[in-house]
Amino acid sequence: MPSSISSSDSGGDAEGDHARPDAAPRANDRDRYARETAADRPGVAQPVPVRPVPEQPWGKILLGVMALLALLVAGWESYWRGYDAKPGIRNTYALWGIQRQRIDTGKGNATVLVGGSRVYYDIQLPVWERLDGQRPIQLSFEGTSPLTYLEDLAADPKFVGRALVGVEPDLFFSGFEYRGGAVRYTRKESPSQYIGQQLSMRFIEPYLAFDDPDFALNTVLERQPWPERPGKHVFLVPRKLGFHEADRNSYVWDKVSDDPEYRDLWQRIWRDAFEPGPDDPTPAEALKIEKEQIARAVQVVAKLRARGVRVLFVRMPSSGEYLAYENRDFPRARTWTALLAATGAPGIHFEDYPELQGYLLPDWSHLTHSEAERFTAALYGVVMRDFWGPKAGVEPVAPADR
Amino acid sequence: MVFNSLTFVVFFACVLGLHSLPLPWTAKKINLLVASYLFYAAWNPPFVILLWVSTVVDWYAAQGLVKARREAARHAWMLLSVIANLGMLGYFKYGQFLLDNFVTLMSAAGIDYHPAHYDIVLPVGISFYTFATMSYTLDVYLRRASPARNLLDYALFVTFFPHLVAGPIMRPTELVPQFAQPRRATGEQLRFGLALMTLGLFNKIVLADSFLSTVAERVYDSDKIPAALDAWVATLAFSGQIFCDFAGYSTTAIGAALCLGFAMPDNFRFPYAAVGFSDFWRRWHITLSSWLRDYLYIPLGGNRHGARRTYIALMSTMLLGGLWHGANWTFVAWGGLHGLYLAVERALRARFSGYRPSPLVFVLLGLLTYTLVNVTWVFFRAKTFSRAWIVLRGMAGQNAAARPILATFSLLSAAAIVGALVLTHWLMRARTLEAVIARAPAAAVCVVWALMAFAIVIAQGSGSAFLYFQF
Repeated sequence: MPSSISSSDSGGDAEGDHARPDAAPRANDRDRYARETAADRPGVAQPVPVRPVPEQPWGKILLGVMALLALLVAGWESYWRGYDAKPGIRNTYALWGIQRQRIDTGKGNATVLVGGSRVYYDIQLPVWERLDGQRPIQLSFEGTSPLTYLEDLAADPKFVGRALVGVEPDLFFSGFEYRGGAVRYTRKESPSQYIGQQLSMRFIEPYLAFDDPDFALNTVLERQPWPERPGKHVFLVPRKLGFHEADRNSYVWDKVSDDPEYRDLWQRIWRDAFEPGPDDPTPAEALKIEKEQIARAVQVVAKLRARGVRVLFVRMPSSGEYLAYENRDFPRARTWTALLAATGAPGIHFEDYPELQGYLLPDWSHLTHSEAERFTAALYGVVMRDFWGPKAGVEPVAPADR
Repeated sequence: MVFNSLTFVVFFACVLGLHSLPLPWTAKKINLLVASYLFYAAWNPPFVILLWVSTVVDWYAAQGLVKARREAARHAWMLLSVIANLGMLGYFKYGQFLLDNFVTLMSAAGIDYHPAHYDIVLPVGISFYTFATMSYTLDVYLRRASPARNLLDYALFVTFFPHLVAGPIMRPTELVPQFAQPRRATGEQLRFGLALMTLGLFNKIVLADSFLSTVAERVYDSDKIPAALDAWVATLAFSGQIFCDFAGYSTTAIGAALCLGFAMPDNFRFPYAAVGFSDFWRRWHITLSSWLRDYLYIPLGGNRHGARRTYIALMSTMLLGGLWHGANWTFVAWGGLHGLYLAVERALRARFSGYRPSPLVFVLLGLLTYTLVNVTWVFFRAKTFSRAWIVLRGMAGQNAAARPILATFSLLSAAAIVGALVLTHWLMRARTLEAVIARAPAAAVCVVWALMAFAIVIAQGSGSAFLYFQF
């Protein structure tokens, strides 16, 4: 009897019709590496597999591979640095999870920033920390309504701090979530994923400029000017907008303001997005979605405020064609005013405060790095003066829209 | 952890380092065993307990089988193993599926039954290691093999990390003997093993994840109605994706084992050059198809009890094989279609036994096989029957309301990759990778290897799980 501790002989072909000469590589007698597989040995104990190594000078080949790979990677890195890219931390769900975890590990009373890309790029954590003494926790995601993340905070009794909630009308009132899976990811994050994030953000990302989703092979190829397929309009996809640090402090890439071609590209991207797409909801559906988002906000704000959390909505600055689009599709009275009235939470609309206006927004939607620093200081001043500071008084329960 | 992750790179470097230390062989095996448990625990530590249960049950069942004097006792030990393994698989993998179907049945009978939601996480690779451990007990029961001599070797057979979560599904007779003597890879094995790992990861990260998966997703995971071109390209893209994903995993696993000095069996032999479905299953997921043949098809009667019994055994095997892939009736349909194809082919072979196709007809039959395989992939990929029908209708050009879904780049990239893949399978149909590498100039091997590694680096894979982990 064959043994599991020794290789077995191939037994008789119990199901002989399985083996046919046209089927397997073993038929090729000229191939001296040809071998049988389990498919060729029905009904018997399978022997120890054969795993031949093809004859080649493998030592020299490996050295050549390492040298060539090093050259290619260096060339690729050099190409992207020549494009003004620099190393930065990848804005992954795992990175978000590290910040989210802080709330459950002693920072439950922190100020949390949650919103779309404007809160993400336009509020500079070092500036806020310098003024406040405490560094806020950044939980915003680009292209994403903050409501899911706010609901996650509302469900966490450990969070008893303050929430500054960014309102970007086309995200907030449409419920759009480009990066909406962070809560789910964090809850299911495996030890392997956690370790991978720690290794990557310490030993890879701080050193390689090309290690950015915007410069991935498929992304680069897909963005080439391929001829358009009749009937299929390819919308321009947002490009790299900024850089991220380990605690998710982020700022807009200088290229957006300094490179006219890149700035124009961003403006074309937005312009393209302002056009109605074939999958967009009808006006009636859009109105319904707006009301649903406001209803979600009412619930989540009530839950947070019942626990003593102070919620402050902030309509971050926009300009040019972006502002015109927002005013056209998400008029203030129907969205912002209705949101504050329904939730009873206070809000800051940049158009109501002179100190929050007049900043440089090269793509009409985000501030440059230096402007973001100036804006953060101004915003902090307004927040503390009118809402969260010692002289601000009791938070208004149902403020009138300013 | 997944092979395509930074965590695995560090893990594997540590394992290689430990394995090359001048330690006693038993100590090295213990290192490998502990490393394999860590590899598995990196997903979800508590599920290591399932591995232990599976290991211990089959270890004692095999011991009991050998000691049993009466046939009834042998049956009982065998049944213990089968029930324990299939019970575990059933609970974790099919619990919700069974419950959902029970609720549907009750509803059909007019009974409004609302059970609590069955919120169970599927342990990664449970289908693979339960089959591996069952093959151990079943081989002993069928008197094909005697039990392993010590628990360490057996536990390492079950847990050995290269094959643990997605195969190749190894038999004890293939791996346990390799643990008997000290093994360490030669320099050539180590380098070729690294080359195989690069090839496998190139398939997974670059071809499957970066290019093909999104093309399939845009059609299959959307609610848009696809026209013929979109439906076909998405399905062809999925055929390429699942091959590159799964064969990529197997190649990486084989390479990783070889780096440590162990041999693992072939799992794929250029399946898209198959001519006929019995040929396809001799080339696709070989270790599963041979497992199903040896432990299901043959015990069900195989081809030795008349035509009727053969067809029943064939169809039962393929239906259950389909269900093995996932707890959804779409997988059963996928298996059923393959069973049907195999049955028809068998009948045709009996009817035209003397027929020898010309080279042109041979190639045409191969393309027909590939086309019909693609029809089965629709059921494999679609999450629901309704979506599968929509895609199939699209492939037949019957979706009147269709509008273009895929952009030019998606169409071109999928066509180029899948075209090259199928052509490669045909060119390699009767060859082995090793023979082609041996004949190639060293400089060409070097450049191709470096380019694959470079593509892996710049593709920036997201560390997404291999498709077959869900099975």
